[in-house]
Amino acid sequence: MTEDNFEEFLKKAAQSYNVPPARTPREDMWSAIQAQRAAGPRVVYGGGSPVHESSVRRFGSKIWLGAAAAAMLLLATGVGIGRWSASSTDPVSIATGTPPSVPSSTDSNAAPLPGVGPEVGSGVPSTGARSGREPASPTRVAIRPATPVETGPNAGNGRVPPGGASTNPGSSSAYQLTAVKHLSEAEALLTSFRTRSTTDQQMDAQLGSWARELLNKTRLLMDSPVANDPQRRPLLEDLELVLVQIVQLSPGSTPQDREMIEKTLQQDQVMTRLRTAIPAGTQRGS
Amino acid sequence: MGLAAYESRTSVNDIELIARVVAGDAAAERELYETYVDRIFRLTFRLAGDDDLARDLTQATFIRAFEKIGSFRGESSLSTWLHSIGVSVALNGLRKTKRLKTREAPMDEGLTIGAASVEAEPDLKERMARAIDSLSEKYRTVFVMHDVEGYTHEEISGTLNIPVGTSKSHLFQARSKLRVALADFAPEWVS
Repeated sequence: MTEDNFEEFLKKAAQSYNVPPARTPREDMWSAIQAQRAAGPRVVYGGGSPVHESSVRRFGSKIWLGAAAAAMLLLATGVGIGRWSASSTDPVSIATGTPPSVPSSTDSNAAPLPGVGPEVGSGVPSTGARSGREPASPTRVAIRPATPVETGPNAGNGRVPPGGASTNPGSSSAYQLTAVKHLSEAEALLTSFRTRSTTDQQMDAQLGSWARELLNKTRLLMDSPVANDPQRRPLLEDLELVLVQIVQLSPGSTPQDREMIEKTLQQDQVMTRLRTAIPAGTQRGS
Repeated sequence: MGLAAYESRTSVNDIELIARVVAGDAAAERELYETYVDRIFRLTFRLAGDDDLARDLTQATFIRAFEKIGSFRGESSLSTWLHSIGVSVALNGLRKTKRLKTREAPMDEGLTIGAASVEAEPDLKERMARAIDSLSEKYRTVFVMHDVEGYTHEEISGTLNIPVGTSKSHLFQARSKLRVALADFAPEWVS
């Protein structure tokens, strides 16, 4: 027979497929619909109702809130760990007492330690009043690095930079540590000075303030046993000259003034000598 | 039995009826339900093959329609829009219950559902049901809507959101597969 016969046969036979009841249960379904709508959210075939979708959105927002809370917790934990580790690894801390290797305030060779205090090595210029107050303090202090520092005759061997005070029997590891931190900070300042924008007057003012702070410490170090080292003293003198130039650099200074500072840095190789004097692994400018 | 019988009625009163339903008129909701429930129930029953499931799917269709009717833009007739929801709800529901339905199939064989108006040979009826069930979802849907429930290709196109040509192609493919599956009964349509 023909294709039409097959279609007729198929349509006729297919009427027996999933035959629905003769009577639609209208009332039952309507009652169920009313009850379900009154009950609120429910799972609906075919993607669900808007109420169900909104609950999904609410669940989604909860996920984001949870993720945000977790991120905040992680961030706070990170900050806390950072602060804790920074404080625990701070190489300089104040301790009372008088270790044998630390000169007392009555020592005629001992000059007031520059930068002894929390601001040492902070990298941020502190107020001049604070640094000026510390040398006058009668309190005897000792600098205690977090890592044990040998205080014997060979103290600082392998730690002191070339040309450092290790060759000077009168110097102490405390002074060495202070000197290294100071030189690191000076290097950071000079690096900032060389990389600054020539038109940024605000930056010049900040650098001037920072240089003034370092200048005071440099002069204090020059009067300390650290300056007894024959290689370190010229470095401190050259550094003093450069810092004076930077301090005197007014916001309206000419490019020639800056060139003069640059020339001093290059001629005296201040940067190179600074970096040589700073042992590897020391936090520069921090 | 297709949607055409309802087209004139919905085209005249669609806007007013929808406006009343959106406004929360319970009588309008009931009117909309009474108008379309038979067709929706029949179609979902044909697709589901289970009374309880067909009821659930029909109820879900109208619940969803009442919730979504505010977003109805009139791009199609209300009947087509409602059938689209019904088919979508039915197919999604069947996907979720497909595995369970497959396991329970042997038990359902002894269950008589309603009163069949068309009598077929027991063996043919069973073979036909299996053959249709074995069709892919898209072929089975088009076949059931066209050859079983009498929808036109235009109505199927609007309901399933597919081109008319695709509807015809699906029907052709479905028939071809059924011809192979029912080859043992070829004498009945050849003679």
